[in-house]
Amino acid sequence: MNTAILCEGLGKTYRRRKRKEGFWAGLRAYFSFETEELAAVSELTFRVERGESVGLIGENGAGKSTTVKMLTGILVPTAGRVETLGLVPHGDRRRLSQSIGVVFGQKPQLLWDIPARDSFELLKAMYRVPDDVYRFTYTEAVERLELGEFLDTPVRLLSLGQRMRCDLAASLLHAPAIAFLDEPTIGLDVLVKERVREHLVEMRRRFGTTIVLTTHDLKDISATCERLLVLDRGRLLYDGSRTGFEERYAEGRTLLVTLEGPLEGGARERLEQELAGEELALDFSVPRRLRIECTHATSAPRVTASVLRHLAVADLTVHGAELDAIVTRLYRNAKPPA
Amino acid sequence: MSALPRPSALQMLHGFVVLAQKTAQTKLTYRLATLVSLLASVTSYGVYLLVWLAIYRENPRPGPLSRDEMLAYLIVAFLVNSLLVMSVELRFGQRIRSGLVASDLLRPIGFLALQMGQAAGDVLVNLVYALPLFGVGYWFFGSALLPHDGVALALAVVSIGLGFLIAFGLSYLIVQASFVLQSGYGVFFLRASLHQVFSGLSAPLVMFPRQLRAVAEALPFHHEIETPARIWLGLVAWPEALRLMAWQAAWGVGLLAAGELILSAVMRRHQVQGG
Repeated sequence: MNTAILCEGLGKTYRRRKRKEGFWAGLRAYFSFETEELAAVSELTFRVERGESVGLIGENGAGKSTTVKMLTGILVPTAGRVETLGLVPHGDRRRLSQSIGVVFGQKPQLLWDIPARDSFELLKAMYRVPDDVYRFTYTEAVERLELGEFLDTPVRLLSLGQRMRCDLAASLLHAPAIAFLDEPTIGLDVLVKERVREHLVEMRRRFGTTIVLTTHDLKDISATCERLLVLDRGRLLYDGSRTGFEERYAEGRTLLVTLEGPLEGGARERLEQELAGEELALDFSVPRRLRIECTHATSAPRVTASVLRHLAVADLTVHGAELDAIVTRLYRNAKPPA
Repeated sequence: MSALPRPSALQMLHGFVVLAQKTAQTKLTYRLATLVSLLASVTSYGVYLLVWLAIYRENPRPGPLSRDEMLAYLIVAFLVNSLLVMSVELRFGQRIRSGLVASDLLRPIGFLALQMGQAAGDVLVNLVYALPLFGVGYWFFGSALLPHDGVALALAVVSIGLGFLIAFGLSYLIVQASFVLQSGYGVFFLRASLHQVFSGLSAPLVMFPRQLRAVAEALPFHHEIETPARIWLGLVAWPEALRLMAWQAAWGVGLLAAGELILSAVMRRHQVQGG
């Protein structure tokens, strides 16, 4: 069986008490049992094969965490069907938990008052990790994530970055078949993020771990995931390869121009006049540099020709839109469901 | 690694033991706080002893127990209670409000065993404090605090273990209430009040008025403290001790089963919103 995750028409609707602003409204609501329904996730259908690395992205409130919670068995869906590693997660949560690893953003899973090393030993016993597997995962985590310096420090005394690294290590110690990582790099600096990404890539290479990564940092996705699931208001907006996503939605181009010297008098005005009919944004804020964001890829050749005609160019490069820019535009353009 | 076979009982036990050890290790870091709590309990319980001494001074036979039997009972009851004080509800309350409970639900050892292993860790730490307290009691009261023979000792130890099951089972029910109510404090204080009156901590049930005693005997609380204390002191013959222990076991298993049933129902309808 090669399917790691299967969702068919998966949905989760929350029911919550109606609350209104203000003291009197609050007092009335105290004696009222009026509720409203909130569809957090609707009609999700997708399949993830074993060994795939999937980025689950979407704006805040898009339903990413709810989806992960249903896939791990913490939440029971209100509609549809879900299977993780061939098990119904909410029905067989305990058995499933042996084969999955989970990181929930800033919610530490390590024992707060004792060193991380002790929590690792506890997890080894709870997950019955074979010695040879533990030797590898532990050593790999300690080296790759550079945990050695603070392994014997009580977790409550660690910095956020140190704690997150320990949490990630803890979730992968048993070499799970699937790692669900809900914002594992939140609040981390660039270097630590890099180490976390490297660790994920290595664990996947060594154990064929399926990775489901939710994040707002799309560099995490670029570094670790080949496939994207984009959620918007609980619905699946895109399901496909990362490169396919970039090709499909990366309509624009960015021109980066380095000038030979300071702008000659009137050159800028002439260029702006010539490009007045194009949909683009010119940025002259950095001396001897020009950045042009073209809304449409088709206008890039004309814009390039104009730049070369009016400016003394030392260097010029054309880039497709980066993942961040594409996703931002996609969120802005996404229409609310009818 | 694919879905592994179900763990053997020995593997489960190993995980449980390590969990208890690590929880104890965690709790031992709060040395001063624990000592202050202990001092508070010793002081408040000292007041009970003084009240009962005053009662016996006014009326040398207020019930079926003599003054010395009563004092021995109260001290043993206090020690059993100190042993079974656990932080299950408090620990869980914090975890449910912060959302940390999510990782507790995803442990292969199971939610019940996870909570129980941590409770066992609490008891390990309690032993560190209860044993010296017992030594102090023995210094004052001598052999009156000891079981009469090895059989009474063995039965009492098992009975304390069953008392742990009941105490934990009640805490586990409160944990389920916390899932629904988002805060288990109200239920926690309700249980604490009932425990104070009906567990036999302030007086053995034989000293209660008849109707109140009937109510107390119908509830599980007295099996936490009174039953092990009476068995320890040899206040019941061993056939009666076995009967009481059978009741303890039944309550313990019943409470845990009820907790599991409620958990399963709660999990079907609980809501975790937000990231």
